[in-house]
Amino acid sequence: MSEVTQILQAIEKGDSAAADQFLPLVYSELRKLAACKMANEPPGQTLQPTALVHEAWLRLGGGDGQLWTGRAHFFGAAAEAMRRILIENARRRKALRHGGGQQRLDIQEVEVAAPAEDEQLLQIDDALGRFSLLDQKKAELVKLRYFIGMTIEESAQTLGISEATAKRWWEYARAWLHAEVIAQHRNK
Amino acid sequence: METNPQDSPSTTGAAREEAIFNAAKTLPKADRAAYLATACGAETELRQRIELLLESHEQAGDFLQPQPAAAGSAPTLVVSPSALEKPGDFIGHYKIRELLGEGGCGAVYVAEQTEPVRRKVALKVIKLGMDTRNVMARFEAERQALAMMDHPNIARVFDAGATETGRPYFVMELVRGIKITDYCDQNNLSTAQRLELFIQVCHAVQHAHQKGIIHRDLKPSNILVTLHDGVPVPKVIDFGIAKATEGRLSDLTVYTELHQFIGTPAYMSPEQAEMSGLDIDTRGDIYSLGVLLYELLTGRTPFDPQELIRSGLDQMRRTIREEEPVRPSTRLSTLMEADLTALARRHGAEPPKLIHLVRGDLDWIVMKALEKDRTRRFATANALAADTERFLKNEPVEARPPSSVYKLQKMLRRNKPAFAAAAAVIGALVVGLGLSLYLYTKERAALRKEKEAVRRAQDAEQQQVLLREQAEKGLAIERKAREMSSVGNQLTTAGFLMSQGLFDRAEELMKEVTPIIPQSASIYYALGARHFGNGELKAAITNFTTSVRVDPTNHFWYHYLAPVLVLADENDQYQKLREQILNQFKGTSDPAVAERMAKDCLILAPPAADLETLGRMADVAVSAGPTNKDYPYYQFVKGFAEYRQDHPAASVGWLQSVIAQGGNVARMVEAYAVLSMAQLKQQHTNDARESLAAAQELAGNRLERSEVSNWNDRIIAKELIKEAAAQLDSLQQAAPVSK
Repeated sequence: MSEVTQILQAIEKGDSAAADQFLPLVYSELRKLAACKMANEPPGQTLQPTALVHEAWLRLGGGDGQLWTGRAHFFGAAAEAMRRILIENARRRKALRHGGGQQRLDIQEVEVAAPAEDEQLLQIDDALGRFSLLDQKKAELVKLRYFIGMTIEESAQTLGISEATAKRWWEYARAWLHAEVIAQHRNK
Repeated sequence: METNPQDSPSTTGAAREEAIFNAAKTLPKADRAAYLATACGAETELRQRIELLLESHEQAGDFLQPQPAAAGSAPTLVVSPSALEKPGDFIGHYKIRELLGEGGCGAVYVAEQTEPVRRKVALKVIKLGMDTRNVMARFEAERQALAMMDHPNIARVFDAGATETGRPYFVMELVRGIKITDYCDQNNLSTAQRLELFIQVCHAVQHAHQKGIIHRDLKPSNILVTLHDGVPVPKVIDFGIAKATEGRLSDLTVYTELHQFIGTPAYMSPEQAEMSGLDIDTRGDIYSLGVLLYELLTGRTPFDPQELIRSGLDQMRRTIREEEPVRPSTRLSTLMEADLTALARRHGAEPPKLIHLVRGDLDWIVMKALEKDRTRRFATANALAADTERFLKNEPVEARPPSSVYKLQKMLRRNKPAFAAAAAVIGALVVGLGLSLYLYTKERAALRKEKEAVRRAQDAEQQQVLLREQAEKGLAIERKAREMSSVGNQLTTAGFLMSQGLFDRAEELMKEVTPIIPQSASIYYALGARHFGNGELKAAITNFTTSVRVDPTNHFWYHYLAPVLVLADENDQYQKLREQILNQFKGTSDPAVAERMAKDCLILAPPAADLETLGRMADVAVSAGPTNKDYPYYQFVKGFAEYRQDHPAASVGWLQSVIAQGGNVARMVEAYAVLSMAQLKQQHTNDARESLAAAQELAGNRLERSEVSNWNDRIIAKELIKEAAAQLDSLQQAAPVSK
């Protein structure tokens, strides 16, 4: 049985320590998988977050009879992990551009296709952080949609809500975040 | 005065903001300001915040949407230039001259034919990856039919073959024109001129259909406009090609060929989106023509092609198959002002005029062509052209707005019969929208009155006392006003949810509504009617009971609850309701109220003590006199009361008069059934049997199809048939009657 499966079962039983271990685990799995894929692809290719996450899920044995809630946990963690990877990449590139050329980092950059330009990505992430304080659930939905490219339908299933609700949440969250990002621009 | 918006009870600021935002965005733009004024009342901050969100919502566009270009890791499908033919190359007898264009399907060249005649043709080479043999076989199958097509608005297909590398190609009449949509916009064609061109396209498609050819891929880039002596002539190209290459639509190939498949999803009919590939007929082309007309009128396709592509294959199919597009005029009126002005300029018209022109007949013509169910579309391209011509000649068009019953059916998504709640849902919406404003202003008016009193007080000291009192009262009133306006919001939201078919969510919401106000009765009624339609009697009763409880002075709600209680055999509850009805309405002088309430009390035989009261109510009803258009209803209730009072002869007289007048089916059935029982009481057994048979026949043939709104009357009619039949039965068992 894989480590992920064990942890998922522990989470099912309400083990909160297991929940804390889970995110780093998914994070490192995603990185490993991405690095391995990069090595086998021609240079210049970028990896699609959706494909990457789904493949990670299958590799971890997610295909065979996993609990539904386990799936939800996994994709929730994967969205957060992907968000961190993307934000790290954006921050690092930004630092390099701003004359930080000497601070070479030993982690190999994983070329994951980002949904937006670095600057915008960081702004959106900022706004999303504020939004999640206000409405955790809807912020989860945004992460699933935005960072791992889930459709409304998939994200509704993952969160255990109806598609109609997901769509409504999405539109509200999107309007909220858009307004926030625009306001940030104006204040600059 | 305290005007802190946080005062609003029960909902937190953010949830309320979200609820109002959700409601407002479903409204046409023009109505939003009025709604926000109502929903937000004096809370300007909340209102500004929601306006900002709405603006944000409109402008969000691609915001947070993954870019389709980011799909970089998918294998690339574009044929590299080196694989293309070069000028001077020969394909069959055809010498390539220049590249005319490249599309998802392949490349189109201008080529020169040398024999048997020398002419320039268009030569379309299909991209690699298709099974050439199949394509050729399908083309051969249609070649005969294609050769017979001869129409000035159709580009002829001359030939087909395979290149040396095995790619299929088609040879067509060379049309040097531009896309019909571009032509219209570049030349600022008026709506009428656009329709003229559209009619010609319809006729061309009709011609092909008559020869047995379906286009299957009608879209602006396949309809080119050329000028002949300065007159624009549309030409439909590529007939027969989509059919020959249909293999690309099969499920297996679609993934790897996603790019070419999604070239034109916006024009694809729902049945094509199914991609079963089997059952496509001429009505698929009618749908595509509908999309074209939509685009000619509004500058946009019913569904945003970018959005379709982005949403992924499954969602795209679902959208095309299930989602109702907004009407063209609605689409126009929701455009951003700048967009609308630009669009109107391209139509050579003023924005308001353009919307006005499209609203109504053109809306219905387009929507009929775009019906999901192809049997509801125009049967032929000619019918579509004819209706468009009628519009141009100011004649009445045949396309009609769908009936309210049909719309209700759609709204309930085929969930069981549709006698539910069209009127009530609309009523609930209107009530909800107006309500918060009404309640708020009402309480405010009370406050104003108090202030008047202070102003009028003569004595200064008296004024001081009054002022202090008023200040306290004012606070209470203000609080109540806020509370009321918040209920109004909840009702509005519930109304919207129901109008979207989301009855379960509306019901959840309505369980939490406090305080109880009569205006919410119509929503409980609508919820009850919906449950009733689904055969869920218990839940129906719960909601109908609530509607009576929150609005006990309105007889309307009793009139639905009573028959359902009888139907569900809830006799104790029914008896209690009867007492309530009699207490509330026994003294009414309104004939209509007296009629309905008496009838509800008479469905099951009432106790002797109530009979006199009910007889009096029936008298109030018939006192309206024969000039009243509802007089037959009143006569029926009088006859019904006479029967329950054990006056069969009088009863028979009234009922025969009702029957002689014909009319409403439920009323006729009721009258025959009670007549049967009265005749039995007179021991006219054969007459009784005949009357019952008449009631049963009418009920069997026409009751279910009669007026949708009178479902409560239909219950009563059926109950009375049951009662009459039981009486005849028991008589027969007791003493079989000899003939």
